[in-house]
Amino acid sequence: MKEIVNFVAVTREYNVGEHVLKAADNISFTVWDGEFAAILGPSGAGKSTILNLLGGMDTVTSGEIIVDGKNIVGLSDDKLTEYRAANVGFVFQFYNLIPTLTALENIALTGKVVKNPIDAMEALDWVGLSDRANHFPAQLSGGEQQRVSIARAIAKNPTMLLCDEPTGALDSETGLTVLEVLRRMNRERGKTVIIVTHNTALEETADRVIRVKNGKISKITVNTAPKALSEVNW
Amino acid sequence: MLTKKMLRDMGQHKTQMLSVFLMAFLAVFIYTGVGSEWRGIQNSADNFYRETNLADAFLFGNGFSDEQADIAANIPGVSAVERRLELNASADIGNSPTLKLYFVEKNEISKLYLVSGSAFDKEDAAGIWLDKRFADAHSLSVGSEISLSANGISIVKTIRGLIYSSEQVYRSEGDALVPNFANYGYAYLSAKAFPIPAALIYNTLLIKASDTAGLEDKIDGVLNGKYSVCLERRNLPSVIMLTNEIQQHKMMGNIFPIVFLMIALLTIMTTMTRIVDNQRTQIGTLKALGFKKSVITRHYITYGFSLSLLGAAVGLITGPISLPYFFYPSMSSFYTLPEWEPAYAAAFLVVSGASVALCACASWLACRNLLRNTPADTLRPKSPKTFRHNRLEYVKLWRKLDFNAQWNIRDATRNPIRSLMAIIGVFGCTGLVVCALCMKDGMNDLKIWNYEIVNLYESKITLEENVTQEQIENITALVNGEPIMESRVEIRAKGIKKSASILVTDNTTLIHPTDTNLNPTSFPNNGIAITKKIADVLNLNRGDSIKWHIYGYEGWQDGKITAIYRDPDSQGIAMTKEHFESFNMTFTPSAIISPDEVSGDIDGAESVLSSAESVAGWDALSEALNIMTYLLLSAAAVLSVVVLYNLGLLSFIETEREMATLKVIGLKSAKLRGLLLTQNLWFTAIGFVFGVPGGVRLASIIASFSGDEFDFPISLRAPALVTSLVFTFGLSVLVNLMFSRKIRRLNMVESLKAME
Repeated sequence: MKEIVNFVAVTREYNVGEHVLKAADNISFTVWDGEFAAILGPSGAGKSTILNLLGGMDTVTSGEIIVDGKNIVGLSDDKLTEYRAANVGFVFQFYNLIPTLTALENIALTGKVVKNPIDAMEALDWVGLSDRANHFPAQLSGGEQQRVSIARAIAKNPTMLLCDEPTGALDSETGLTVLEVLRRMNRERGKTVIIVTHNTALEETADRVIRVKNGKISKITVNTAPKALSEVNW
Repeated sequence: MLTKKMLRDMGQHKTQMLSVFLMAFLAVFIYTGVGSEWRGIQNSADNFYRETNLADAFLFGNGFSDEQADIAANIPGVSAVERRLELNASADIGNSPTLKLYFVEKNEISKLYLVSGSAFDKEDAAGIWLDKRFADAHSLSVGSEISLSANGISIVKTIRGLIYSSEQVYRSEGDALVPNFANYGYAYLSAKAFPIPAALIYNTLLIKASDTAGLEDKIDGVLNGKYSVCLERRNLPSVIMLTNEIQQHKMMGNIFPIVFLMIALLTIMTTMTRIVDNQRTQIGTLKALGFKKSVITRHYITYGFSLSLLGAAVGLITGPISLPYFFYPSMSSFYTLPEWEPAYAAAFLVVSGASVALCACASWLACRNLLRNTPADTLRPKSPKTFRHNRLEYVKLWRKLDFNAQWNIRDATRNPIRSLMAIIGVFGCTGLVVCALCMKDGMNDLKIWNYEIVNLYESKITLEENVTQEQIENITALVNGEPIMESRVEIRAKGIKKSASILVTDNTTLIHPTDTNLNPTSFPNNGIAITKKIADVLNLNRGDSIKWHIYGYEGWQDGKITAIYRDPDSQGIAMTKEHFESFNMTFTPSAIISPDEVSGDIDGAESVLSSAESVAGWDALSEALNIMTYLLLSAAAVLSVVVLYNLGLLSFIETEREMATLKVIGLKSAKLRGLLLTQNLWFTAIGFVFGVPGGVRLASIIASFSGDEFDFPISLRAPALVTSLVFTFGLSVLVNLMFSRKIRRLNMVESLKAME
């Protein structure tokens, strides 16, 4: 197995008025290809900052981020956009579907940024929503919207899926369905999945668990035999 | 896919999108509509001048010999010369209308334009080619005979053709403002048709020259002053009148589109800023998905681009095929051109393109800032505006203001662009309304000034050229009249030469001149009075000296300005008979004015014009202006409704949450509507205050293009002010009422929940 993500002493500072806030403070960790990884921590610990930096949506103050052997730090805006298009599939807490496009159209949108996207209908089928193809986001439940969002991310055929609190806005049962979809993408399609969450239930089910506190890594655990999602009490 | 998104977004912002479309459409519609109108007239006139080989200069004198014509033809720069005899005759039909007869040598310069009948034949001694509009007015047709008399000689000729003349696009003969085609006409005849060949004297020399600059000096040099007037083509009354008219249309066609384009741009700016702000998360998502900045930028530019493109295209297509036809009927009632067809110009495409480009640019400006941020930033909700207390809030008075005022002051100062745009919109609306009403009042003022204050006669009898003193005395006695002398003069002062009118009065009681403040005055006995308009052109004041010279008389006179006066429709100089005779010149009356209604055939009279006819002519002339007035008023209405509704909608959407909160607290819908209304009324008041002088200024500019002979005083009357006030504020309240349903339907729960 090869290293897919390598954070090397990454720091991200924000200027808030006269104060400097260190959202990420000298963070280093590695995720391997095909892993189902969870970044855990309380609100404001810096989890989302890590995900944004990894997704090329924010820039580091110092340090290096190696993705698939390439350093993405210092890339130009255009190169970062290309990197996002080719390597990253995002899943957001609030789904962020385009409200004026149908489920199918939201997925087909990815066809505009990558050369060989997965067929939108097929991707929708993977998340079990082929019968909702022509519904607008407002006509779908939260769980369904999140599944469409996953289908959109996977349709780009990216190196990894980055999920920011994907179950944060859902009830536990629906949340479990969404996580199962993500797990399936990981196991069956071999996609690396990195989930940011404060849901500790992922502690026992993820392959690798990175705990963050106050912008620093407090602990990294590797589960050699992760439990199935259904075995955990949500 | 992004196109679908755009179309659906547009669907959600119908009103704003519609107004962008509408404003772009109106800007281009008016620009191309009015543009094609005046260009059409210009083209038609240019073609007319070219086809008929209109003379570049006209030399009038007491008779030009063959040798003199040859000498003139040999002047460097002169390409051809032709002689012609012009004389006035009266036709023996109806009320003995005047016909100007042109006996032409060759018909190579200032040729007639044949509408129907056979071509001009310079050997034809029995034929006449008659002014078509005169013929139509008298139901004369090709083949019929017409009997004419001039200088006591009667002739009968057969009509060979019906024609137009490029010298008579606007007929300045007679005193009627609007040509009465039944009272005055012209006709071309061969020199061979002149009844007494031996007595034929050519009194006009038509000159074609490649360059008319300095032509008169050259002519003067070779002809040794043996002519009375040299008139360049551009000083021909017909040419001047049409050129001024075109100028006026051109200016209006250029100013109004700018107003609409500005509104379109402001609408795009505000609307797009709101759309882009509201779609912050969507933009972040697109960025996260890997869409290039350029793709997203292009997407948002397309909003303004596509709508303005559509608007401009529709305007470009419909403008030239519709607007000109509103103007042409009234225009053709006083101008005669062979063709009334709108003309296209490359400028239409350039201006349409530029409008679309500007709209696209406005969209780009609106989304530029947001696209600069990192995707992570963009995905985060917008940090709330930092609300600072504005300075007003520290003033003691602030605490005494009621909630309504405080709320509105805060809202207005925190959205300065929106506020400014509302004020500009109302400013434009008021300006257009005030301008339209000022023009309408001005036309009416001019009419009253002319026919009820200055010229108090009922009838004006224009005398024949060779009228005898005895005939003058007879007519004067018959109609209880007063003789006056009117003619054209050239005035020279401070290095400028200007062609103008001269009026000489003999103790008249029927003409009451007005001073510069339009108060009654009288012509001085000790000097020359000059109209303010001419005085301004020549930069003259009381006490200055001028040189003047009446057309048809040789030699220049020196005079002194002792009074400045204003006249509604004739600009030049005036003096009393006594003063005129002090120059050793003979007072030769050209008309008799009478307080009575005069009719019937009068010996020695060329024509009789009644005051009622003049007023009717004036009303006809006002018709074209009325069309313009209605156009302005409708434009103003559209403008203010679109702008105020849009801004009201924006303000409503932005403050929906606050409104819902206020409603939850217990404020009634009427109170909430009052909040919005207050702001609308404030902006309307500010826009109105600036719009009124703006409109008056605009009207003055337009009036200044109304032609050399008119003095068009523009002033704002109380009724006009009240009308524009009611109009502007009425629209403002109307727009507010359009929101009342929205406020009543405001869903408190939904408004407060949709926080995302």
